[in-house]
Amino acid sequence: MNDIILKVDNIVKHFYEPEKFQVLKGISFEVKEGEFLALVGKSGCGKSTLMYVLSTMDTDYEGTLTIKDTVLTNQSQNQLAAFRNENIGFVFQFHYLLPEFSALENVMIPALKLKKYAKAEIEERAYKNLEMLGLKDQALKKVTKLSGGQQQRVAIARALINDPAIIMGDEPTGNLDTVNTQIVFDIFRELAKERKQTIIAVTHDDDFANNCDRIIEMKDGQIV
Amino acid sequence: MFSSINNRISQIHLTSNVKQTIVAMLGVTFGISMYIFMTGFMTGVNDIQADLAFSALAHVRIYNDGPADNSNIAKKVFPNDLINVRNAKVIKYTDGIKNSTSILNTLSKQKDITGFTSQVNINVFFKNAGNKLNGLVSGIDVVSEDKVFGSAKHMLQGNWNELKYKSDGIFVGVELARILGLKMNDNVNILTSEGISRNYKVIGIFRTDVYNVDKTKAYIAINAARQLLGVNQDYVTDIQIDMVDYNNTQPLIDNIKAIIPYKVESWQMGNQQLVAGSSLRDTIAKAVSLTILLVAGFGIYNIMNMTINQKIREIAILKAMGFSGGDVTKIFLTQAIIIGILGGIVGIILGNIISHLVNRVKFEVAGMHHLPMTYYPHNYVFAFMFGLITTFVAGYLPAHKASKIDPVSILRG
Ligand SMILES: Nc1ncnc2c1ncn2[C@@H]1O[C@H](COP(=O)(O)OP(=O)(O)OP(=O)(O)O)[C@@H](O)[C@H]1O
Ligand SMILES: [Mg+2]
Repeated sequence: MNDIILKVDNIVKHFYEPEKFQVLKGISFEVKEGEFLALVGKSGCGKSTLMYVLSTMDTDYEGTLTIKDTVLTNQSQNQLAAFRNENIGFVFQFHYLLPEFSALENVMIPALKLKKYAKAEIEERAYKNLEMLGLKDQALKKVTKLSGGQQQRVAIARALINDPAIIMGDEPTGNLDTVNTQIVFDIFRELAKERKQTIIAVTHDDDFANNCDRIIEMKDGQIV
Repeated sequence: MFSSINNRISQIHLTSNVKQTIVAMLGVTFGISMYIFMTGFMTGVNDIQADLAFSALAHVRIYNDGPADNSNIAKKVFPNDLINVRNAKVIKYTDGIKNSTSILNTLSKQKDITGFTSQVNINVFFKNAGNKLNGLVSGIDVVSEDKVFGSAKHMLQGNWNELKYKSDGIFVGVELARILGLKMNDNVNILTSEGISRNYKVIGIFRTDVYNVDKTKAYIAINAARQLLGVNQDYVTDIQIDMVDYNNTQPLIDNIKAIIPYKVESWQMGNQQLVAGSSLRDTIAKAVSLTILLVAGFGIYNIMNMTINQKIREIAILKAMGFSGGDVTKIFLTQAIIIGILGGIVGIILGNIISHLVNRVKFEVAGMHHLPMTYYPHNYVFAFMFGLITTFVAGYLPAHKASKIDPVSILRG
C-alpha cells in the first residue's frame, strides 16, 4: 500500500464563469512511487485544470487528494504551501519565473525557503541543476534576458531543487527542441529510476508519452 | 522571524524600482519634517509667551484678598430671623500679610519650589514737575526678586544690585521715564493714597517689553517701601513663588492652602487667557502635523497597493512554490518598514534643517529678534515613532491583502 504516492478519488470540478461548466467529471487514479507518468489528451480536455488540483494549488474541487498518505483535501492554504515547498516540484505550462531575479536565484528560492541545506550548498546544487540542463553559462543572467526554451529549463531546474517526491510538469518540454526535450526526458527517467521520484507530465509529444511507464488519457474531463 | 530569503525578496523589490521607493519615502520624510517643524515652532511660541508672562507674573502668588463678606454680621448669629441692616459698612480690615516670616518658613519646607520673594506693592502717583502718572511701586528684595523674575536682565541703565544699598533709590520703567521726562539721577516724587509724599532718585531704568509694566512700574528696596507705609519688618503685600514646573501648580496650592490664612492663587487662575492660548496652539500644532502624517501614510498605502498590483503574478508564483501567506505579508511589510525608517531618518534631519532656517527669520517684536523655535528631543522621538506606526499600518493593509492572493486564479490567467 505505501508504494502508492499519490491517489485521487472522484475529483469533480466546476467553473462558474462565464457559466456553470463541469471541467473534471469524477477522476480517480493512483500513482506509484518512482513511476514516470504521462497525461495526454486533446487541448481543452482539462489536463491543466487537473494538474492544478494535483499540485494542491487549486482547492476548489470535490473528491479527495492524498499524497504520501496525507489527505490534502480541506487543508489550509498555509499548510498546503509548506507541503508543496517540500514535496512537489512544479513546471508550469507557461514558465513562471520571478523576472527581477537571476536564473540561479530563481532556482535557489524554493530551497532557501525550505532551509534544509545551507545557502552555499543550495547554490552548489542549483548550479549543478542548471549545468545538467545546459544553462551553466546563463546562471547569473536575469531570466527576462533568456529565450523561451532557456526559461523553461530554468523552471525545470527550479522544480528539482528540493528533491521533491513528485515532479509535476504541464508540458515541460513544450518550448524545447528535440535535443533538449531528450535531455529533459533522460533527467526525468533517471530521477524516477535512481531516486524513486515520481514524475507526472502533461505532454502533446507522442514519442515522449510512449517512452513513459504509463499513459493516462483524458477526454472531456474524464479518463479513458 | 524574517527569514533571509524574504528579506532578499524585499530588498530586490525596493531596489528594482528605486523611483517608486523614493516617492514613498518622501511622503514619510515630508510628514515627519513638517511635524518636527510645527511642534518646534509652536512650543517655541508657547515658551516665549511664558517667558514674557512670567517676567511679571509668578507661578503662585500669596496675598490678602480682603475679608469675607461681613456686611450682615447679625445674620450669621441669627440665621433664621429676619434682620435688616440699613446702609451697612465694612469696617477697615487689615491689609497685607502681617506674619510673613512664618509663611516664608512654611514655604522653604515645600518641594518643587525653585524660589520665592516678598514684595510690598503700593499704588501711587508718580510726579515730576507738572507731570503726574498713576502706577505701582514695588518694594522688593533685590536678590530673590531677580531669582524669581529674572528682573536684573531687563535693566537698560543702572545696576540692579545698587538698590540694595540705596534706600532713596528707585528703578523706573522705560515708558514711565519717557512720559515723566526722567533721566538717570533725576528726582521723582511719589504720593501714596494715604497722602504721604517722598522723593526718590532714579538710579536705574528697565524695560520688560510688556508695555503696561514699563509704563506703570517702579522698584524700590523693600525696607524703603515699609518705611513709606510706616509698617514693621514683617509686613509684605505679596509673596511670589516660582516652581519647577509652571504647568503643575495645583499640588503645592493644595498643600499650603489650609495652613496659610491668605489667598493662594496660581497664575492659571488669574490668567485663563494665557492657558487657553497655549493649549489651543498645542492643539492646532498637533492636529495639523498629525494630518500631514496621516496624508503621508495614505501615500504609502497607495504606493504599496500599486506595488502589490504590479507584482501580483510574482506573489502567485512565490505562493505556488510554497511561500505562506505570512511570508508574503513579511516581504511587503518589511518594505514598508524600511521605507518608514529611511523616510523617518531623512525627515528628522530635514525637520531640523527647516527649524534652523525658520529660527533665523528676523522677527523684531516684544524683545524677540528671530522667530522662536525649540528643539526638544522628545518631539523628535515622537515624530519618528508616529511615522513608523503610520507606515506600519499603511503597509500592513496592502501586505495583508497580498497574503490572501489565490495563486491558481492568477496563474491560470
Ligand atoms: N479560469 C477558467 N474559467 C473558466 N473556464 C476555464 C478556465 N480555465 C480553463 N477553463 C476551461 O476549462 C477547460 C479545460 O481547460 P484546461 O486548461 O484544463 O485545458 P488543457 O487540457 O490544459 O488544454 P491545453 O492542452 O490547451 O493546455 C477548457 O474548456 C477551458 O476553456
Ligand atoms: Mg493546459
